[in-house]
Amino acid sequence: MALVAAGFVVTTMLLTHLLGPKRKTKIKNEAFECGIESVGNARTPFSIKYFLVAILFVLFDVEVIFMYPWAVNFRELGAFGLWEMFTFMGLMVVGLLYIIKKGALNWEK
Amino acid sequence: MSLTEIAFYFLSFLAIFSALAVILSKNPVYSVLYLIVTFFSIAGHYFLMNAQFLAAVHIIVYAGAIMVLFLYVIMMLNLNEEQEEKTKNWVKIAAVVSACSIMLILVSLISKSTYNMGKAPMAGDAGLVQNLGKVLYKDYLLPFELASVLFLAAMVGAVYLSKKETSKS
Amino acid sequence: MKELLLTALLGIGILVLDILNLKKYVLPFILLALATLVGFIAADWGTIETPFGQTMLVYENGANLALGVFAVVLFFWFILSSSYFKQHEGKTDLYALVVFSFCGAGLLASFGNMAMLFLGVEILSIPVYVLAASKKHDLASNESGFKYFILGSVASAILLFGITLVYGATGSFDLAVISNFIQDGKDASIIMNVGITMILVGFLFKISAAPFHIWTPDVYQGAPTWITAFMSTIVKAAAMVALFKLFTGPFQFYVEANGYTIGVIAAVTLIASNTAALWQTDVKRMLAYSSISHAGFLLSTIIGNASLLSLLFYLLTYSIAGIIAFGVIKETQTLEGNPLKGLYRRNGVLAFAFTAALLSMAGIPPFSGFIAKYFVIAQLIEAKYFALVVVMIITSAIGAFYYLRASLNVYQHIENAGRIVLTPLIKWTYILLTALLVLLTVAAGYIHLL
Repeated sequence: MALVAAGFVVTTMLLTHLLGPKRKTKIKNEAFECGIESVGNARTPFSIKYFLVAILFVLFDVEVIFMYPWAVNFRELGAFGLWEMFTFMGLMVVGLLYIIKKGALNWEK
Repeated sequence: MSLTEIAFYFLSFLAIFSALAVILSKNPVYSVLYLIVTFFSIAGHYFLMNAQFLAAVHIIVYAGAIMVLFLYVIMMLNLNEEQEEKTKNWVKIAAVVSACSIMLILVSLISKSTYNMGKAPMAGDAGLVQNLGKVLYKDYLLPFELASVLFLAAMVGAVYLSKKETSKS
Repeated sequence: MKELLLTALLGIGILVLDILNLKKYVLPFILLALATLVGFIAADWGTIETPFGQTMLVYENGANLALGVFAVVLFFWFILSSSYFKQHEGKTDLYALVVFSFCGAGLLASFGNMAMLFLGVEILSIPVYVLAASKKHDLASNESGFKYFILGSVASAILLFGITLVYGATGSFDLAVISNFIQDGKDASIIMNVGITMILVGFLFKISAAPFHIWTPDVYQGAPTWITAFMSTIVKAAAMVALFKLFTGPFQFYVEANGYTIGVIAAVTLIASNTAALWQTDVKRMLAYSSISHAGFLLSTIIGNASLLSLLFYLLTYSIAGIIAFGVIKETQTLEGNPLKGLYRRNGVLAFAFTAALLSMAGIPPFSGFIAKYFVIAQLIEAKYFALVVVMIITSAIGAFYYLRASLNVYQHIENAGRIVLTPLIKWTYILLTALLVLLTVAAGYIHLL
């Protein structure tokens, strides 16, 4: 069953790719920008501010992931587990306050 | 061949193929996209090994968050084709030789090892969220708490390096 | 446990002080905490403590002593570098990073589990990647941080791979279990050997031993001088202590089987670094090569029957000399031309401290570097590594040449020298550290009583 289903998907995709007509012109290969002609290079250096936000996101993302196995075992770990997580979160809150204090999340300037 | 075996070979093929594509494709953005495919196939392997939590984390953190960082870096690097520097030939040869010797070591390692390592270190359901949580919050309590110190250090470093100076200059 | 809490909370405390706008109290706070740490270690002397009854961290005398050495070195580092950081805008950030890195060093001194080892290595090195690049508008500093980051990450990855292979072979991260696995006479499989080799490679990078030392001159030269001082002393010492703990503890069988290879690595390190150092014109770069050559000495402690005590003695003397040498370079860096030339006319204390530091690194008798090298060589003779000893003696002679050349440079006569003015605190710290270099020689006589 699974093989038939997968095979069907693969064959139809391959077939359409092989059978369909292909016309490549310069205009067709251009990026479509709402009908406006594209200007310049897409690879321009941009502000590091975006990167900072992204990297802070990753840090807090990983932090939240730690809570998942903790939440599943919440009852079993008892009060000790609660304090464990409080300590961890407390340290992360210090980090958050530090970030706010440094103005890392302010967009202007 | 059972379904698991088919899945294993398919995922392995996909992982190796996309990993090769990462290093062979000229366009760095393609490399990143292939890297995402690699991560997904590795996550599939985790599923096969009954480690759901690890698989989920792998997709959320690596394929989701880390790849975004990769893309940002590539866009920031401003890699236009004409700027690409040619690596010297001897550097290439040295890289090939050292990579091949590591490959040789690992292959001989796999072929010579007897797989006779006593009891399996972990039971089959060790990767389930519940069991992982028990291990993490009981046995590995100290490393878990200290991971927050690592996070703080990374946070301070990131803020320090990318923050604009506020002073007069 | 107290020690760990103190170091971790110190870093967080600095961030809190920054949040509360109390920047001027940061330095006294750190110095107080470090002094308290030394007090805790003295109070805990002779006890064995395992936090939460687990063997994640084991605080016994060796670990405590190593932590004490790091704390003392860091204490003086903070005092001497205070004038550089006083003007620095990101002072608290950099201080916090240094303290976090120190926390990692503390973990490496006391780990009892491979998971903790890896976490320690990461906490130790990640702040240092940032610190190396901390002169944001200086291209050399950026390059230094970037190189260190890329190469350091690869080394960490290799280390991690090695740890997983050892786990695969023994089924445990716990050092005690791994030791028992070997002592039970179980076959050390090829997986185990490859794993341990990878761990060794990771550490060879961290202590900058050949053939993984090539990053060192560039990184040390480009990084801000005080950060170089930190890297070449505490970071290196912590990695070395961890290496020593592993390879004289659970992995001792590996050293017994491959002692000759490790000896060759140490010899190559010594030869490569000392011959390269001869041609350096930049004194910071020369000290980077000198740091590599000390890695050769440090590495050879694991193949002899060296005690942790003699390793720590070596690390302490080298660290003190390193802090003085890099500190003096920093103090003179603002002047133009060849800044060390004729230093004695500018400031006698700095000139004398610099000479003492270099002579101690060269291993010339009144200074404790001699005793440190003597301990290493004596143990190697005992273990019958004569070829390595010959290499050590020859390379030390080469080393003495360039150390003397650099320190004689300080006494050259120059016209209209501008004075370098030091605050009394810093001046007396330099004097104290120089005296320590001599006093440690005397103390070495009592070292066996400990």
